[in-house]
Amino acid sequence: MKIRLKFLTCFSILLAASLLLTSCAPTATPSEEPTAAIIKETVIVPKEVEVEKVVTATPEPAVISFWHAYNEVETELLETEVIPLFEEANPGVTVELLNVPYDDFRRKLLVALTGGSPPDLMRGDIAWITEFAYMGALEPLDEFMSDFDSYAEAVFPGPLSTNLLKDHYYGLPLDTNTRVLIYNTEMFADAGIAGPPETIDDFLAACEKIEAFDAELYCFADGGTYGWAVNPWIWSMGSDIVDSSWTTASGYLDGPGTQATYEFLKDLLDKGYMHPTIVEGGLDVWGAFGNGEVGMILEGPWFPPYYGGEAEYGFALMPAGDGGHISVVGGEDIALFMQSQHKEEAVNFIRFMLTEEIQLTMAQVGQIPVLKSALESDYIVNHEFFGYFLEQLQYSKARLPHPNWTKIEDVYKIAGAEYLLGLKSFEEALGAAAVTIDSLLVLED
Amino acid sequence: MIFPSVRLSRRSQQVISAWVFILPGLLLYVIFLIYPIIKALQMSFYEWSVMPGDPNEFIGLVNYSRALRDPIVAVSMRNTVLYTIITVPGQMILAFFFAFLVDKVARGKIFFRTLYYIPVITSWVVVSILFRYFFQSPKGLINHILLDILHVIQQPIAWFREPATAFIPILVLGIWKGIGWSMVIFLAALQTIPKEFYDAAAIDGATAWRKLISITLPLIRPTLVFTLVMLMIGGFNVFISVVLITNGGPAQSTEVILSYMYHQAFDYIDFGYGAALAFIVAIIIVTVSYLQIRFLRRPEEIS
Repeated sequence: MKIRLKFLTCFSILLAASLLLTSCAPTATPSEEPTAAIIKETVIVPKEVEVEKVVTATPEPAVISFWHAYNEVETELLETEVIPLFEEANPGVTVELLNVPYDDFRRKLLVALTGGSPPDLMRGDIAWITEFAYMGALEPLDEFMSDFDSYAEAVFPGPLSTNLLKDHYYGLPLDTNTRVLIYNTEMFADAGIAGPPETIDDFLAACEKIEAFDAELYCFADGGTYGWAVNPWIWSMGSDIVDSSWTTASGYLDGPGTQATYEFLKDLLDKGYMHPTIVEGGLDVWGAFGNGEVGMILEGPWFPPYYGGEAEYGFALMPAGDGGHISVVGGEDIALFMQSQHKEEAVNFIRFMLTEEIQLTMAQVGQIPVLKSALESDYIVNHEFFGYFLEQLQYSKARLPHPNWTKIEDVYKIAGAEYLLGLKSFEEALGAAAVTIDSLLVLED
Repeated sequence: MIFPSVRLSRRSQQVISAWVFILPGLLLYVIFLIYPIIKALQMSFYEWSVMPGDPNEFIGLVNYSRALRDPIVAVSMRNTVLYTIITVPGQMILAFFFAFLVDKVARGKIFFRTLYYIPVITSWVVVSILFRYFFQSPKGLINHILLDILHVIQQPIAWFREPATAFIPILVLGIWKGIGWSMVIFLAALQTIPKEFYDAAAIDGATAWRKLISITLPLIRPTLVFTLVMLMIGGFNVFISVVLITNGGPAQSTEVILSYMYHQAFDYIDFGYGAALAFIVAIIIVTVSYLQIRFLRRPEEIS
């Protein structure tokens, strides 16, 4: 019994040693020798370990992590075409992609930051960059990239400006977009509407006709009372949520122009022209448009490649009010995190994403390029639907690229819902929101 | 022998072996529960910064006093309490009713027990999303049943439009999903009651109601108190269903304390304030649970 135990102990120690050896010895001969041979060689174990330390000296390849919220169609193109091209051109560099759904993106990133493990790069909503920069999470690219100025000149100034906080740029634009009016051509024909609405008055007239044609249908739908949805109406009707220097919301968000916009939206809702999902949530707006339940929506250039609905549709500019055809600018910037261990490689990836070739590749799935040169290319000029978006972009405005934007938006999103639901009067809801936003606009240094 | 033989007293041997058994579990408990709790308590006294290297500012009880003045905390607290006082009795009464019936059926006890337990083991996420669809307006399942099949309403109800109706799906889900859990516990308790008591009562001419009041309920009282305490703790922790069904809407009127805490901590990165809210809930739960056990259980049951 005792002898057997000793033998077992010896054998297991030998086995463990041999396992250790083979696992850390890439050049060592694999287990061709029978176990007995290894047992005999126990004495030379320390020697072999010495040798190991000399052998393992091959450099670690750099892995750069890139978080994005591209949709399925865009992600597929990124994975199958864009990333392989980059990795081919940059031997030893691997890009690790993480697709985080848009709704969870900011939250997940913040948690990663607090945990000290952000990605190297992100493709983030243009509305988030200054917030992360203000926290000290992002590398100022204008300092880090020696050739930053050439990129700053090559891209459009509007999208570029969303990266500016105080005197530094913390990112570069990657794509741009805006919302245009998308309407169900068949429903318009059936309801006897001549064409897409040019003005807000035409829009209202179209809604009345759709209501008269079939009261079950909705003229318009949008997903909520957030800035992305209500700002185009506020701007097009000639007003704004803050003053041009971003110092006050009082007199703007609760001003007479904005009041007229919210009253207009409430009227659409109360008359059953607008789908209640703007205050209730829960509706798949694209689905409802696709089944022909909703006549008009505002959507971005990702809509045509990704839309799978039945209804035939056409494009038009945001209906004009006293302010003109003003829609909202969206898009994404690419930014580098302070904690990145591979900044040089990451910056190369930024440069790569801003080449004309890649900008045009991503344009195939609805990503409008930000490079001036790319927009002049034949592909973009002759594109079947980019023309509508590019025309709309000339009149569109960006949401406030302010570090407190998320909180600011939440405040007037909730206030807008309170008013539209009839829970509070306009003054009670938006007046109080304006006061709160006034304090959020002030930044501590 | 690998270990040298050292003579230990019997008592030391017992102490050592006890620690050897306790240690792995204790370590996990300390690392994953005690440490985060202490860390959260610490955070609640700070203006906690997002970036790991940045200094955190000690602000004493500011987060707590802010919570007491925050109107949405008041709304959330009201909704949390409302959820608890509606779903806890709702679950217990229905669970008792079904336990009583299942206990009486001659055949298929296991079948019914499993059937009622299925909601308990389904994912909160899945059923919350389903309930969101059921209560959709105007074309959700519930509206369809009420309008077209039962004809009890004239117009489809816009459930998620009014603060009062928006909370109903959350309450219904809370009760439906919890019945099975209490039922299984009640069923076990019912089966421990000796049949002789009922036989004796029957001979004395007791009605079914009288048997329930005088025999069944007193004998399962410790189980009732246990269930009450556990469900109350669960009620205060309502979160997933609220986030997924209404996300606090319309206009923050269905926010509960944990959804609001999550919002503050992870959308606004106000970890200090979030931690303070979490501690306020913890203090309430501990206090109420203590009072329930202290006053509802008889002294001989506690010891």
